Amino acid sequence: MSRIWRKGLSISVPGPQPGGTIDRQITAEASLVIPASGDLRVEALALEGETVAQGQPLFRDLHNAGLTTCAPMAGRVARLDIDSARRLRQVTLFHEPGAGRHEWPPVPVDQRDPQSLTEHLRATGLWHLLRARPFGGLADPARRPAAIFVMALDTRPGAPDPLRAIEGQEAAFASGLAALMALTEGPVYLCHRAGTAPVQDAGPRLRLLPAAPVHPWGLAGFHIHAQRPATPEAPVWDIAAEDVAAIGTLLDTGLLPETRLVSLTGTGLRDARLLRCQPWADLRGLCQGHVRPGQNTILSGSLLEGRPARWLLGADRQVTVTAHHPSHGRGHWFLSALSHAARPLPLIPTAALEQSMGGALPAVPLLRAIASGDAETARKLGALSLLPEDLALADYVTGAEPRLSALFAALLERIAEEDAP
Amino acid sequence: MNRGLWDRETVAALLLISALPLAVTWLALDGPFGLLRLAVFLVVAGVWHLVWMLARAQPPSLAGALTALALAVLAPEDLGPVALLLSTTFGVVAAELTFGGWGRNVLNPATVTLAFMGFGFPAAPWPDLAIQVGWASWAMLAMGLALGVLPGPVVLGALGTLGLAALTGAPVWAAMPAVCAGLALLVADPVASATTPLGRWLNGALYGGLCTLFLAFWQDAAPVQIAVSSALLASLAAPLFDEISIALWLRRRNRRHG
Repeated sequence: MSRIWRKGLSISVPGPQPGGTIDRQITAEASLVIPASGDLRVEALALEGETVAQGQPLFRDLHNAGLTTCAPMAGRVARLDIDSARRLRQVTLFHEPGAGRHEWPPVPVDQRDPQSLTEHLRATGLWHLLRARPFGGLADPARRPAAIFVMALDTRPGAPDPLRAIEGQEAAFASGLAALMALTEGPVYLCHRAGTAPVQDAGPRLRLLPAAPVHPWGLAGFHIHAQRPATPEAPVWDIAAEDVAAIGTLLDTGLLPETRLVSLTGTGLRDARLLRCQPWADLRGLCQGHVRPGQNTILSGSLLEGRPARWLLGADRQVTVTAHHPSHGRGHWFLSALSHAARPLPLIPTAALEQSMGGALPAVPLLRAIASGDAETARKLGALSLLPEDLALADYVTGAEPRLSALFAALLERIAEEDAP
Repeated sequence: MNRGLWDRETVAALLLISALPLAVTWLALDGPFGLLRLAVFLVVAGVWHLVWMLARAQPPSLAGALTALALAVLAPEDLGPVALLLSTTFGVVAAELTFGGWGRNVLNPATVTLAFMGFGFPAAPWPDLAIQVGWASWAMLAMGLALGVLPGPVVLGALGTLGLAALTGAPVWAAMPAVCAGLALLVADPVASATTPLGRWLNGALYGGLCTLFLAFWQDAAPVQIAVSSALLASLAAPLFDEISIALWLRRRNRRHG
């Protein structure tokens, strides 16, 4: 039996709201930039200057056998920056519509066993869409997940409605769900807005999880925590509904999806938009002609957890443009000394803080454990099911400094290191 | 910068705003003498906050004013200046500032100060709170709950226990002003009370239960003294209630998820 959680907050996005129409826009450039801290060792499968079709393999991951990344759009490889240690720094593509789409062989329904599905998803790069918990990051093919959570609800401020994203792709979505059920021996949970289930016939393996549309209940973390806590021995994967439809499309037709539904919101925009664009899209290209004059910051992600970026990052489905607020000069040295001492700032338990953690777990003890770096308590209270993005709302509500999500990321990294065999 | 407003000083300011009805009613009844008392406690608490700011770069907090108000309303009368300085210093410094300021303290500094005064200077008479102060504490509790800065279960647990006791005929109503002012100013402190739902209910219920018990069996104790003693014991038990609550939660979870 599932319970509809109602404790949460709905944060409205300041600025214009998107209308009902969905534009399609493929930006002239698309790029993947690996941050300096990243360590992605690759073997290039397309050379600089070469023309690649949409969906054609670009490079192969040397540390994860069989895992490739494919071109998000048809184009020319303008830059492929791989250093002498084979570490990928940047790939940039220039759009060339004539380059066509790469066709993968469709997988017949009777051949969709876990082994071949895993290999196929890894070869086509769709494996990147699955996210594993604990610790986040790539799913480990050697370890079958205890459950997979499909998120057909997104409650981040300004997020596009996942149900609109899979509109017209119901067959592909069902086929993707069936593939996910083959990947796990446990249940597949489909989390959706209460009253609008994308699938009617749930079975013992496919379980519907209706949720009230309040943040953070549109994030997978709290549902995983409530239904099937993730542990290192029994990992849990989560995936967005649109990505499930992408898997279905690939298996049925052999084509990788060209676009994903992305929303553009924020105070820095003249008009908010819903559009379909390619992964790694150029955010400046998407915003051009729609921003207010003056300095703006472009975030990939929502207002709560977005990071300043030039390109659409990872699995983000949101771009937030915020007007730049100039700082009021340099404060007095004494005030700045005061505000920089005594970090992290103390947390005061209020109703707002409880709501920001969804009411499903002892919020204050968990946040205090995270702020003080107490891995054991945090783990006991269910931190392994969560990812830093799940704490973004608590960060926002309490104005925490340093951000709890950053402290949590460091704590998770430490737990992962201690847990490593 | 994208951020909400529930940081430490906002909460302290909202708590002060909720306390305004109580402060105004009490000042209107006590007149200039009350104002002087409040000023003295404000100055003592403020000086210690300043000292810790200069010596330890610890930002001062508006919560110091809340401590001063609680002390002005509840502290024994006719304390000499030395006794007053000593006990306020002990409460503010040892219960709050040494822990890193408001938000990191384990006990409410006003509770500790009042308990110190009660143990250290037992001859000083406890104040007799007027019934209006009692009703003003209800206003403070209601405002604090509506603003979300006071822990609801603590307040409801305490009032529920006291209500039950009153129904069974315990002499609770006569001490209502002191018990409710103690609840509003000392027990329902968001930082020093329990933080888990069950822990909060137990924390409030313990305060109500202790008040009832003391009122029934503690001969010759003033109502404020009873409220302060109950508040101290309830605050000391708060971490235990949190532990119990978390242990039960974990047991339920382990049974469910294996």
